[in-house]
Amino acid sequence: MDNTGKMPAGDRRLFYSLAPAAVISMGILVVMTVLFIYYSIPAVRVYGAKLITTSTWSPSEYGEPSYGLLIPILGTLISSIIAVVIALPLALSAVFFTEEVLPRSMGSVRSAFASLIEAMTGIPTIVYGLWGLMVLSPFLRDNVYQPLYRYLGFIPLFSCEPVTGSTILTAGILLSIMITPFIYAVVRQSYNQVPRTYKEAILALGATRYEYARILFGMIKPAILAGALIGFGRAAGETVAVALVVGNTFNPPTCILSPSYTVSALIANQFANAPLYPYMVNVLVLGGLILLVLGIISNILGVMYLARVRYVA
Amino acid sequence: MRDWRRVKERIFLAVTSILAMVAVAPLFHIIASVAIRGGGVLYRAGLDFLTSQPAPPGSSMLGGIGPALLGTLWLALLTSAIGIPLSVLTAVFIVEFKDHPLARLAKVFTSSLLEIPTVLIGMLVFLTIVSMMGHYSLLAGSIALAIVMLPYTVSYVERAMEEVPRTYREAGYSIGMTRSQVVFDVVMGIARRGVAAGVVIGLAKIVSETAPLLFTIGSARSSYPMSMKDVFEPGDAVPLLIFQFAQTPYQNWQDLAWGAALILTVIVLALFAAMKLIVREVHL
Amino acid sequence: MDIRALLFTPALIVLLLGLLSMGSNGRDSVSLQGEGSSFLYPQIQAWASEFTARNPGIIINYNPTGSGAGQSSFLKGVVDFAGSDPPLSRDVWEESWDRVVQMPVVIGMVAIVYNVPGVDELRLDGEVLALIYLGVIEYWDDERIRALNPGEDLPHERIIAVHRSDSSGTTQVFTLFLHKSAPDVWGEDLVGKSIEWPVDDTGRGIGGKGNQGVLEAVRSNLYSIGYVEYAYAIKNNMKTAAIMNREGEFIKPSMEAAQAAALGALDSIPDSPDGDWSRAFQDIVYAPGSGSYPITSWSFLLFYKSYNDPAKADAVRRFIQWINVEGQAHIVDGYIPVPAQVRQVNLKAVEMIHG
Repeated sequence: MDNTGKMPAGDRRLFYSLAPAAVISMGILVVMTVLFIYYSIPAVRVYGAKLITTSTWSPSEYGEPSYGLLIPILGTLISSIIAVVIALPLALSAVFFTEEVLPRSMGSVRSAFASLIEAMTGIPTIVYGLWGLMVLSPFLRDNVYQPLYRYLGFIPLFSCEPVTGSTILTAGILLSIMITPFIYAVVRQSYNQVPRTYKEAILALGATRYEYARILFGMIKPAILAGALIGFGRAAGETVAVALVVGNTFNPPTCILSPSYTVSALIANQFANAPLYPYMVNVLVLGGLILLVLGIISNILGVMYLARVRYVA
Repeated sequence: MRDWRRVKERIFLAVTSILAMVAVAPLFHIIASVAIRGGGVLYRAGLDFLTSQPAPPGSSMLGGIGPALLGTLWLALLTSAIGIPLSVLTAVFIVEFKDHPLARLAKVFTSSLLEIPTVLIGMLVFLTIVSMMGHYSLLAGSIALAIVMLPYTVSYVERAMEEVPRTYREAGYSIGMTRSQVVFDVVMGIARRGVAAGVVIGLAKIVSETAPLLFTIGSARSSYPMSMKDVFEPGDAVPLLIFQFAQTPYQNWQDLAWGAALILTVIVLALFAAMKLIVREVHL
Repeated sequence: MDIRALLFTPALIVLLLGLLSMGSNGRDSVSLQGEGSSFLYPQIQAWASEFTARNPGIIINYNPTGSGAGQSSFLKGVVDFAGSDPPLSRDVWEESWDRVVQMPVVIGMVAIVYNVPGVDELRLDGEVLALIYLGVIEYWDDERIRALNPGEDLPHERIIAVHRSDSSGTTQVFTLFLHKSAPDVWGEDLVGKSIEWPVDDTGRGIGGKGNQGVLEAVRSNLYSIGYVEYAYAIKNNMKTAAIMNREGEFIKPSMEAAQAAALGALDSIPDSPDGDWSRAFQDIVYAPGSGSYPITSWSFLLFYKSYNDPAKADAVRRFIQWINVEGQAHIVDGYIPVPAQVRQVNLKAVEMIHG
């Protein structure tokens, strides 16, 4: 596979001068994975598959502690899926708004809008979390969850009475706000790669801007999928903000109006005192490893989809 | 028939515009909340806020966030020293040798770092650097932050370089430039907007990160790091101070946390604005 | 300017600063690094600034990561001292008593806070609290609550039970109290810093991170109840419940009630800082004695008996001496000083620490 031999001399020199940086960057993840596996092994040896198929969490300093990550794993999956489902239309609308609704003549307004969305990635996650707790979750409980429960309570997802604003759905909504800029960036880049001639041709056929959008977004569908996957991974790894709004209880997230847990929130909550308990550090590191694997998979798929866009454009 | 299509277009335009507004609305609400609570505190504390140490909890005095602010500046500098070359060169490698298996691995591996809870990056540094040094330090914190910065900056720089049309490269080769001249003088010259954006996004991310610092820098809130020697000593940072003070019941410490949140937000937005200004002048 | 040069500019600046600081001698001060309990943090920070003002050249830093992280870093040798709500467990103490001293420096109290409009005085006992956190008592106007509060107008609303989501000494003290006061209702398996809360299964339980998290949850949820450190309750003007102590009296948390509990538990404290404190920690909860608040605990500082650096050992000795004498005049609002008898034991540590 190594094709450096076939490169011209100048290329080869560049390759070898850059390779160390790339190897160090990769090395970080490798070292991390190895260390995480090393730390997870004792937990897996003691508890086996029970760690991901059960949902107890009763640490004990002296007796027999028992751990099961099922609820946090489900919580991570469900909250991240909710986040993507909400963020996707927001991000696509924002791309269309920047590129097509704002007139081409208002270039500075366009780039200002794009900068605003970019700036959202810069807000400290702790600030998102405080805002989510103080503003978003009381608002959602009174104005969204109560009606959802009252009118759509027959759907299992909304079948529990919303006693608090700290729920798996709140976590999903807060996450959707946080990942929208990432999806926006991925989709907008592909959108701009579509050659101008295509766009002009579609409009020349007399298409409305609705039809135009459908065709264009259809052309970059793999990029949209990639954005969704990358957003999903991002949401799964988010910690501080989620821990503030998810409710942090071992309650199954099958009804999304009740408090639950995510893996990252569990780590944030429990890591500080974990060394006091047998195997708890190992179990939490295993949780981190699961997130890592989830991240690598969603990334590989994302990169694969993005590669497909190039053929189209 | 034709009218129905136009109606549909109208509805579509309205809906997308509204959704686009909804996407950015939280930004304004968040900034406004921070500005209102933090602004009052800053007004009360004056310039001392930037230089003094925090007053003891429960006292009627406010004090300031001097050591934390200085610590954040040191962290930003050190992290840039480690993180900028590492991530930009990695990104160049990924773009330039994209068919090479090493580049593909590097791409997947670095972007996967985004998905890890940053507290675990802190743990990694704790288990390696801190344990080796035997104590907390600003240096350990910077290494953790450089890892946090890496995936953001790599992906932005990568994207910026890929946006440069092929024709520019071909022009470079046709006048006899080497690969590395083409990459650094032509491609990066054109893509410098994106490269700068990547670096600034990375910096904005790391100055506001809390979790990687929890187990690495030691919350040393009583001393001002002044020289390189202090880099090997424990230190403090603004987001860490916010995180820890916001969790105490004392009014003066909570006020400090809100004031610090405003300062941090201003720093981040200033970074963005500066980047946009620099970029505009060299925009092609 | 060449982009390659720009990339390395920060690294160059760092190098330059490094060269510049080669000549200087660094600081001629000693700095002590501590880590652990976030409950102790405000008090330690207050002591640190007063102490440094009187002893220029000794700087004290403290990283509030949590009691568990503090004990772990301390036993690994990463920090100079640790703050911990529980003392070392008996097993760990047996392995490490020859190199570690422990001392209680303040008393903590767990206040029961609640958010029920119209109810200004609430009396509870361990059994009712246990039943609430088990999820058995569902409504505020349950007859078992009414029996303790004749004359109060309790609403027919569901009780939301708020607990800590992170592992915490506060939870341990609270659950230990439930077990000691109602052993038949609250089993020993439900005692710990982080437990599986039965009330969560009913959907009426919420976890909050840290005392502040519990407080926010109680404040933003009508008809909720929660437990937080005393300082958080009074600083936030929360209504606190009076809790029945071992003598059958209903007592609200206060400085006097905490000290009464401490005096009631004096019998079980060891006579040396390197003794086993794990039993003392158990005994102050639900301690006998009139007027004592039943959900009370010690909070500890841990030091080594020997430090590599003689200057550091000297600084530690001076710090211990100071907090147990002058430091008593600088107790932060909401914290309770330990009785003089305990401070006498603490001061023995000064003789035990060497460079």
